[in-house]
Amino acid sequence: MTTQTSRSTAKAVRRSPLGILATATATHGTGRGDDTPLPKLSGFVESSFSPLAYEVSKECLTERPGDGSRTAVVLASLQGDTITEDLAGQRMVSGRVHNPLLFMQATANSVLGYLSREFQITGQMFSLSTLDDPVTELLAMADLLFEDPELERVLVLGVELGGGERVAEVHRELAAGTGRPVPPASPAATATAGLAAAVLLGRPAAGAPVSVRPVSVRPAGGEANERNAGQAERHEAEGSGTAEHPGSIQSLFELAVVHRRLLRDGGSHLLVTAPVAGRAPATFALTAHAPVPGRNETENHADQ
Amino acid sequence: MSGEVTVTGFGVRTVFGTGAEAIRRGVFAGVPAFMATTRFDTGPYRTPMAAAAPDGPGAVEDWALRHALAQCGAEALDMAGLGRGTEAAVLLGTVGDTISITDYWRAGEAAQGVPARSRERAADAVPAWLAELLATGLGLTGPRLTFTNACVASAAAIIHACRLISSGRLDVAVCAGGYLVEEATFGKFDSGRALSQDGMVRPFSADRSGLLLGDGVAVVVLESAEHARRRGARPLTTVVGWGAATDAYHIAQPHPEGAGLEAATRQALRLAGDPDGAALGYVNAHGTGTKYNDAAETRGLRAAFPKRAESIPVSSTKSTTGHLLQAAGVVEFVITMLALTDGVLPPTAGYTRPDPQCDLDYVPNQPRPVDLRRALTINAAFGGANTALVLERP
Repeated sequence: MTTQTSRSTAKAVRRSPLGILATATATHGTGRGDDTPLPKLSGFVESSFSPLAYEVSKECLTERPGDGSRTAVVLASLQGDTITEDLAGQRMVSGRVHNPLLFMQATANSVLGYLSREFQITGQMFSLSTLDDPVTELLAMADLLFEDPELERVLVLGVELGGGERVAEVHRELAAGTGRPVPPASPAATATAGLAAAVLLGRPAAGAPVSVRPVSVRPAGGEANERNAGQAERHEAEGSGTAEHPGSIQSLFELAVVHRRLLRDGGSHLLVTAPVAGRAPATFALTAHAPVPGRNETENHADQ
Repeated sequence: MSGEVTVTGFGVRTVFGTGAEAIRRGVFAGVPAFMATTRFDTGPYRTPMAAAAPDGPGAVEDWALRHALAQCGAEALDMAGLGRGTEAAVLLGTVGDTISITDYWRAGEAAQGVPARSRERAADAVPAWLAELLATGLGLTGPRLTFTNACVASAAAIIHACRLISSGRLDVAVCAGGYLVEEATFGKFDSGRALSQDGMVRPFSADRSGLLLGDGVAVVVLESAEHARRRGARPLTTVVGWGAATDAYHIAQPHPEGAGLEAATRQALRLAGDPDGAALGYVNAHGTGTKYNDAAETRGLRAAFPKRAESIPVSSTKSTTGHLLQAAGVVEFVITMLALTDGVLPPTAGYTRPDPQCDLDYVPNQPRPVDLRRALTINAAFGGANTALVLERP
């Protein structure tokens, strides 16, 4: 079955800019040389999901420390911690005793709780699953949360695990249902691979050297058309705009890459997200407002 | 808040059956619904008990999450007087239908392969896919988003809807949540020694020994008051306050002083224009029946409205329905709404004797008639997430 209900989100998407305070990316188990050494988190075992989520969050929150009571966190992951789910399922059907640690870490909330304790974040925390592009959903969520005048920062992050044959089967069915691509099958050696990206957002006036805002027109044929957004600056289009598998966090990685480049070089870029069935791809303009003198940028994963 | 948020329709299904009357017969009568489930082999576990609908011809199929959500969604839209083609967001609280995961791995242990029901529904394990199915099945054309944050998931969906509507971003949101008792989650809670040992859930009672799981699915239609008025729809309830906060304490245990719950409740009450809770007449508690939760929740409530805590009745309807996990928020939202419209407080069933650490009025064992104007419903989850919603009778 393919779901083809057309969708209108005209009122759901606002057009206000957000400041990007910090970004971070991490990969694990991909077999490449630049995989990230992940921290060992007390109480979390077997799966890279929670360590990946913690690592990228920690990078952002350490780079730009702030008031935890004025910080919200939103995590997006299409399927959550599939490694833990599958491990628990395998143990159960083979009659082995359940591991209480798998119970504790089975929900994405658990690592958010760990993070909240480490950084004394008492603001709200949400975890989401979306078939759409996570950048669009996460920025819209942050935009909505910033309606609360007491909130200063929203940390948004995405986590995605490779997965084995069961996850591949899920993707095949999703592809049939959404008309979107099936991700390449993970080699057995990288079935436990994972990736994560985080973006710490604030209001534009909060000292963020780069801002991001949605624009209403995607570039046609690769050329940016900003007339409807009322902007005169020249943008360089960024992002493939080609269909990713549902819920892919690739565009969150791209946003982090663009952010680093703008910090280094200045200027502005258009980020075009993957198209979604029934909805056009979203386009976001990232603009550097001021160079950061003496900034020592980490370029890990900057070219993914 | 620029736009008032009303509720114009709901559909609900629990172990007691479908619709408000079933809730009245079970939850409001204080009838615990726990029995030894035969939905799977409970031999390996410390207890067989759950508030799961009994098996029968077609029962498993009928109770598949995608079907139960669709049924409740259709009832909610009917009640609201909304049809296919409505531009409404679909905001769902679930972690997905995990039966297909269990079936997949069980098939590897057996010769017959993956059952057809799961082979065709592998994607139902994906939370976002269930929202897509619900929206498509109901013919709704708005955005879809699934909240996966455990036991506050559907409450978080409702809070998100309230924000979208009150800020003028959209007019209608269909909020849902669903959990059906299955072995994978049952086994995890058993391994965490969270399940009750005496076959009952006794929230706030001195002899409480844990929670039991239950079936629950509900869908509510939230709508801006202006939109409802324009089309002549009758508001059932108004949502006047909401809040969410985190404990910053532990990955699985609640803050012992209920700090996050207090903060979420204070936010909701401030937004409702009633920071002291002066207009509150009832609290539908999270009340899981565990030692940790109920004492922490009591302290959190005391801190949230210190002058009024002892005069506000608090009950846990998990004492009858069991813990509905991701569906707890939305089902308890419906129960709280019925308390407002019926003027009856649902009791805390299974209550035997007071615990010095739980020293509020818990409406023990018997329903209580009241003249109720405002009520609070609260939930908490793994990771120290807390939510609060304030409802008002129109």
